[in-house]
Amino acid sequence: MPITTALASSAPSETVSAAAIHAQDLVKKYGDFTAVDGISFSVTRGESFGLLGPNGAGKSTTMRMIAAVASRTSGQMLVAGLDPEQQGPEVRARLGVIPQQDNLDEELTVRENIIMYGRYFGLPRRYLLAKADELLTFAQLEHKANSRVEDLSGGMKRRLTIARALVNEPEVLLLDEPTTGLDPQARHVLWDRLFRLKESGTTLVLTTHHMDEAEQLCDRLVVVDHGTIMAEGSPAGLIREHSTREVLELRFGMDRNAEQAKTLEELLTNTGRDMARTDPYGSARVPDVAVPTGTGEVGFSHIEVLPDRLLVYAEQAEAAMEKIHAAGHRPMTSLVRRSSLEDVFLRLTGRSLID
Amino acid sequence: MTSTQTTTPRPSPAADKGALVARTKRWGAFYQAEATLRSMRAYGGVILFSSTFQPIMYVLAMGLGLGVLVGAETDFSAYGAESYLMYIAPAILASTVAMTAGIEFTFPVMEGFKWRRKYYGAQATSLTPQQIALGHILGVSCRFAVHALIFTAVLFAFGALSSPTAVLMLFAAVLGGLAIGLPIMAYISTLRDEKGHAAIIQRFVIMPLFLFSGTFYPLTNLPQFLQVIGWISPIWHANELGRVVAFGQPTPLWLLLVHIGYLCTVVVIAWLAVRRVFIRRLGYDEWRGRVPGLKADKRRQSKQDARESAAGSYQRSEGVPLVNFRRGLGANYYSGNIRAVFTRGLSAIRNNRGIIFISGFLEPVLFLTSFGLGVSPMISGIEAEQAGLAGQDTISYAAFIAPALLAVSAMNGAVFDSTWNVFFKLKITKLYQTMMQTSLGPVDVAIGEICLALFRGGIYALGFLGVLMAAGLVSPLSAVLMWITAMFIALGFACIGMALTSFMKRFQQMDWMMMVLVPMFLFSATLFPIDVYPTGVQWVIQALPLWHGVELMRDIAFWNFSSLTLVHISYFLVMVIAGGTLAAYRMKALFLR
Repeated sequence: MPITTALASSAPSETVSAAAIHAQDLVKKYGDFTAVDGISFSVTRGESFGLLGPNGAGKSTTMRMIAAVASRTSGQMLVAGLDPEQQGPEVRARLGVIPQQDNLDEELTVRENIIMYGRYFGLPRRYLLAKADELLTFAQLEHKANSRVEDLSGGMKRRLTIARALVNEPEVLLLDEPTTGLDPQARHVLWDRLFRLKESGTTLVLTTHHMDEAEQLCDRLVVVDHGTIMAEGSPAGLIREHSTREVLELRFGMDRNAEQAKTLEELLTNTGRDMARTDPYGSARVPDVAVPTGTGEVGFSHIEVLPDRLLVYAEQAEAAMEKIHAAGHRPMTSLVRRSSLEDVFLRLTGRSLID
Repeated sequence: MTSTQTTTPRPSPAADKGALVARTKRWGAFYQAEATLRSMRAYGGVILFSSTFQPIMYVLAMGLGLGVLVGAETDFSAYGAESYLMYIAPAILASTVAMTAGIEFTFPVMEGFKWRRKYYGAQATSLTPQQIALGHILGVSCRFAVHALIFTAVLFAFGALSSPTAVLMLFAAVLGGLAIGLPIMAYISTLRDEKGHAAIIQRFVIMPLFLFSGTFYPLTNLPQFLQVIGWISPIWHANELGRVVAFGQPTPLWLLLVHIGYLCTVVVIAWLAVRRVFIRRLGYDEWRGRVPGLKADKRRQSKQDARESAAGSYQRSEGVPLVNFRRGLGANYYSGNIRAVFTRGLSAIRNNRGIIFISGFLEPVLFLTSFGLGVSPMISGIEAEQAGLAGQDTISYAAFIAPALLAVSAMNGAVFDSTWNVFFKLKITKLYQTMMQTSLGPVDVAIGEICLALFRGGIYALGFLGVLMAAGLVSPLSAVLMWITAMFIALGFACIGMALTSFMKRFQQMDWMMMVLVPMFLFSATLFPIDVYPTGVQWVIQALPLWHGVELMRDIAFWNFSSLTLVHISYFLVMVIAGGTLAAYRMKALFLR
């Protein structure tokens, strides 16, 4: 998939109208509060695009502006070449919207929910009767067709919301935190469904604050904070650019993390020389041969101090771990893991994604 | 690591668990009562205002307004009262408390078990289920008492009470409130989910009990079979008890004992029932409550399943068919698909229980029966302006109020649908959010909802007019015109209501809006002619929309048209146009927020 960041300043107008969504200097203010502060991005057809950021970053507001239900304070926006603010109904006819909270119609049955929703688009009943069956199968809800919505479990409701949003065969599917609040199994079922849609050529735009979700579903994403874009790229590219390959998580107990961070930083940056000689504690228990020495191999970058733990960023976290052990430091717990988008976000904003 | 924490010499109040348990055992119910009262604080302004304003309103409307008519012909000294106002005062107190009970023992209980699960919060502490129940009852009783005190003070100020023993009305009113409220609480607390039950109770239980409990006239004015309702109704017993303490209504001792005994028996039995349900739900059983309408749902579901399997499956859909798009003027607001919104409403009505739908037409019928039969013996006829031209000296009281009640019910229905219902779908069920995700525009939604309100109102009006024709109160030709007029009036109120709703932000504001409706009903020459009031007051009333609606209905009912009829019609035309324009202008503020 070609990753195009076709920003309008340089792009010719054909690119703009060919884009599924094109936003330029988007601003949304609620009174004094600026929810979205000059966001520009563009989504090509068939692409899967993610908006990643913490609560209150302006993701949902951006989604609402795309979905033609919120006005912009300034900036430009084109969805399928149309201005959502001028041609609301026509833009919405091309969209499938899955809001953060399921807003199913509790007074209707499962099937009626899909049919009625299609009626809102002006679709004929004959088409809808067949389409509803098809979507119920897609959402694995055939056996619940005539149940009331309130009898469904959380995962079923979510699948129904997604099925319902597909009734008009949308060109663009907007998903606001699609799997928040679901159990792991339900999430995987949902991811599977979304992946199929992606394969069939539907453009997906999703917001999330779950890294794994972004990594699973997005070809390209922007990291949003305080209403502005902090970074843009593919999930892997962002990690490569803003983080190390691996992370070592250490806990030394609540009060000691900060002071330990300094010691460890010195220890890990001063590993250019031979380790056995520079080791201030002279520990001989760890055999030197097993330790890969030299900065190149540990690939130490930096340490983040969180209230409850330290994050040591290194290309080879295992190596760093052994070096720390060799120096005689004994953390209460330690964990080696791959770098994730969470780390990218921490690096970019100095804050955690989920507070 | 050195401990940096400073140790306080006193142990934490939470340390001695034994003392805590003992204290909760003794005072637990009061803690829960405190919680109930605190949660009422959000509505504190509304509560205090209504407690002050309600009595003033009733004094002015019923006591002075209707009192002029009734007092001219009927003497209340036989009952120990100096005036009509004094006669109805204790009963109005008892009735308003009973109405409040209908709210305080339904929605907050549902909130406790289901909507906010407050009771489960209390369950996790050392409170017992019966303490939780008792706490709620105590808290609500406090509200009743405050209401009764303010009420009594206002009545004294208007000279509607003279004896100091009238303060004892407080106990009669609270006892009556509990006697009607506790059985409702026992019922509501068995439910897992509320599906219009509170509304059904309000319309099928509290309203009839209120209207046939001898509040505005002695119970004996009613025919024998309707008096039975009064005997069963706790409101009648509380009314009579209040009258005894307020102005010494002559009552034999045995009857006095019956009143007190009946109320106490109901309270005790209902309390035992409440206690039992609360223990079942909040105790170790963890019973989740009944699901009302479950069997009906299952039946419908299996019927639909069977029909589908018989019809075979549908063919695969072949791509989205082309949808004709409305372009041109206002395409951003209106997509030409009102029908979808209307159809959705019909589906919802069909899926809901029919009783809720039917109940809407009951209210005007009950009012007509109660006032027509109960007040008529005290008034020989009304000398309304329309009467002279109809070729009679006076018209019967029932015939006088019937057109007015039709206008009122048209107003109530339209206002309820365009304010409360719209706000509910906007804020709670988020239905409009769903609709605005699709290619519907805000104008489609607004007009669809108004059509639905008119459709419902039209059916109710049809039912009521049927009753009026059967009772010989209107001619068929008038009835047809009145039906159209009812829709017209409803449209006017719906447009204004929707425009106002676009400015609303919280539910409390909706409460204030509702508070305008009751005085409008009482003062707009509905239950008595406008000329009982001094000219200045008449002008105020004539500025209100309902007065025009009522008069328009009467003009048609008595076939008496004048230039004033045109004024009434134009008033509503202005309402439709002004309200509709404002609503259209505020459409985005209303639906796209």
